[in-house]
Amino acid sequence: MLKTARMNLRLFYDGAMLSYMALFRWLQPMTYLASMVFAPLTYMLFFVFLGRFATGEDNASFYVIGNSIQMAASSGIYGVTMSITGDRWDGTLPYLFGAPANRLVIFVGRAFMHVINGYISVLLGFFWGITLLGLDLSQTNIGAMALTILVTSISTAGLGLLLGCLSLMTRNVMFVNNTVFFMLLLFSGANIDITTFPAWMQSISYALPLTRAIVAARQIVAGADLSQVANLLGTELLYGAIYIVLGYSLFTWFEKQAKQRGTLEAV
Amino acid sequence: MNAIEVNNLRRVFTTNIGRFKRETKEVVAVDDVSFSVADGELFGLLGPNGAGKTTTVKMLTTLLIPSSGSAHIAGNDVVDEADQIRPRIGFIFGGERGLYWRLSAIDNLRYFASLYHVEPEVSAKRIPYLLEMVGLADRGKEKVEGYSRGMKQRLHIARSLIHDPDILFLDEPTIGLDPVGARGLRQVVRNLQDEKKTILLTTHYMFEADMLCQRIAVIDKGNIVAMDTPEELKKLVLDLSVIEVEMFGVSDDLISTLRSQNYVDNVSVENREQRQVLMVQTERGSEAIPDLMTLFEGIRVGKVTSREPTLEDAYVRLVGGEA
Amino acid sequence: MNLSKLPAHWRTIRISFEMQLRQNFSDPFIIFAIIVQPMIIATLALWMLQDQVDQFAIFVIVGSGMTGLWSSLLFISGNAITGERWVGTLEGLVASPTPMPVIVLGKNLANVFQSLSSMLASYALVALLFGLSIEIQQPLLFAVSILFAMLAFVTFGLIMASLFIINPAVQNWQNGLEFPVYILGGFLFPIALLPGWTTPFSYLLAPYWAARALQAASVGAGTFEEMALNWGMMLFFSIIYIITSRSLFLFVLRKARVDATLGMQ
Repeated sequence: MLKTARMNLRLFYDGAMLSYMALFRWLQPMTYLASMVFAPLTYMLFFVFLGRFATGEDNASFYVIGNSIQMAASSGIYGVTMSITGDRWDGTLPYLFGAPANRLVIFVGRAFMHVINGYISVLLGFFWGITLLGLDLSQTNIGAMALTILVTSISTAGLGLLLGCLSLMTRNVMFVNNTVFFMLLLFSGANIDITTFPAWMQSISYALPLTRAIVAARQIVAGADLSQVANLLGTELLYGAIYIVLGYSLFTWFEKQAKQRGTLEAV
Repeated sequence: MNAIEVNNLRRVFTTNIGRFKRETKEVVAVDDVSFSVADGELFGLLGPNGAGKTTTVKMLTTLLIPSSGSAHIAGNDVVDEADQIRPRIGFIFGGERGLYWRLSAIDNLRYFASLYHVEPEVSAKRIPYLLEMVGLADRGKEKVEGYSRGMKQRLHIARSLIHDPDILFLDEPTIGLDPVGARGLRQVVRNLQDEKKTILLTTHYMFEADMLCQRIAVIDKGNIVAMDTPEELKKLVLDLSVIEVEMFGVSDDLISTLRSQNYVDNVSVENREQRQVLMVQTERGSEAIPDLMTLFEGIRVGKVTSREPTLEDAYVRLVGGEA
Repeated sequence: MNLSKLPAHWRTIRISFEMQLRQNFSDPFIIFAIIVQPMIIATLALWMLQDQVDQFAIFVIVGSGMTGLWSSLLFISGNAITGERWVGTLEGLVASPTPMPVIVLGKNLANVFQSLSSMLASYALVALLFGLSIEIQQPLLFAVSILFAMLAFVTFGLIMASLFIINPAVQNWQNGLEFPVYILGGFLFPIALLPGWTTPFSYLLAPYWAARALQAASVGAGTFEEMALNWGMMLFFSIIYIITSRSLFLFVLRKARVDATLGMQ
């Protein structure tokens, strides 16, 4: 029993390290700087300025907060998906499936580094917000915000896991990723007050990660404490868990299909 | 003026190792290569993997600039006069890459035809002709992504001929082809030679080089270790010509008599079961058998076989390994 | 440049254009960058501007079309040469008698042409989703501006293609270069919103002048002086791009032959 636990821990650790190295194989300092620091900043600046244009200067913080939390999406979606589909491109899927390792542990281990990366991205977003865009955090409960960021990193990673598994079945990984990323921009409420959406659009928003976290974050900056946003955060985390479970079932289904049909190496 | 003139060509590659502490390593792919190919000649470049064949061809096709030395194609320098060379040469490196897999074979050929400034009226006729020649006529409209490896190789050949070049560089053209396809391709090469095209062929199939090439250069570790006609190269290993004579009892007298013959290099005896096999190494090969038979008069002789040296023997001897 | 080769080059441009279009149609990544992304941006912007939607509809359509144009330039034209290397066809192109700029020009033309269609797609989307009827106030000036914009983008693509192959590290910055041009180009909001010190940078971008021309013509603000300035700047930049790209290509391809980077890296 203890042995299994130790083995699983080891597996988790290895998976985490693997995806960490995969992340940094192509991520030399310059690349990290370019894609994880600079690019998200450009997105934020664009939307904040667009937001100011649309609804006036006073509303700037609405957009700043929204887009900062939104930054978790990048890691969650691109990072996690690529680390899963990376196996397919490297041709290592057959070996993975042939091993007796616990699938769930491998699965979640892959996402681990990206949760951390996502967390850092959001922190960076807030940093830019404060230094460049006049974000005022004087009323903010730091603990509550820290928790919010963690929850959102996890839930976006969960979505990433689901997308990753979906991508195993298609050839057009980047198309799926890009579409989802941009749909999130639209539906997450980072740039739009979703209460202005028609009901059907709101239900999409609430089925996605980020939405509740953004609402919570805005409330926290306005001075709310943990107890007031606990409900939102709890639901956000729940959705994250649902994505992980969905993704995992898809993963095991995929494995069974691939073994039956002999399409494990199929690109 | 020779079609291809190569003088002391050399190419060094530097690679960086390590992520933090970058070390540079130098790899000499081509050390010091000189040769020339006359107009209309079919010249072979033979060598093991990594010998420098492809690197040499890339330099001659203006894709790579030599580290030192020079090369001229039809009198034009490969570095500074590349523009004059390009319309006159065709080449294939083969393999899976190098074709637009989202386009059909015909579209690929149309594209390259325009790149090589082939008039539309000419290419309209030439494309079907080439597809027919390489056996892709009925699959011309399909996208290349669905082609097998052999089909892609054949399309490469067609592509290299789209502008009817005078000089062709074929880098391992039959690799990946099945025997039937390979044979067809060799016939294509012979036909091209009949059209008086100059062809430089690289390969590591011995019999192919033997069969097709008028002259061969053997290259190893970036240097040419031998260059001559296939016949002359085989003579390098004539000492491998061995006449095996089955006998029942070989006397020492016989051995010394044999050794004293001026055409005999060496004599040895092998015991196989009840018999002994006399092995006579001689330059004269099977020609020596009648003379040997006169020496064996009175002795019971069983099977007589002679093993001729092959180009492969010569090659193995030249590039190392056991003869 | 050898003028007798002009007819042959023109043929190559046409064929390069055709082949690139064919390849683009079966590439989902390109479909996304050119069509899907601009439409999502358009929807987003329109929703954000909803109180002023009537006033800004055409502005957003033109602006999101510009984002599609820039993205196609950045991701597709920029990879014109590196893309050939990935597929393994670069050597075949370099060794042909046709100069690389001619080939790349044809490809850029295809990309620009295709992404202009995204502007049309946005137009259709907006009309459908928001039920608006949108008019271009000065259609003739608009059409001429489109031609100038195409010239500027196609020639800028030449520069991008050679920059991308000079230094592989430039690829990393691809994603980071997308939105700054949307910002500095004033595609979806006027640059008056930006701090003053960024204005010179805007002026240095051909896309800025393109957006300015198209937006002016669409809302009817196209005075003679305004359009002359915009068209003049686009022409000016195009000429600079053409001149610079020639030396850049020669340098780049020579370097690739020395460094042995024409084949796979």
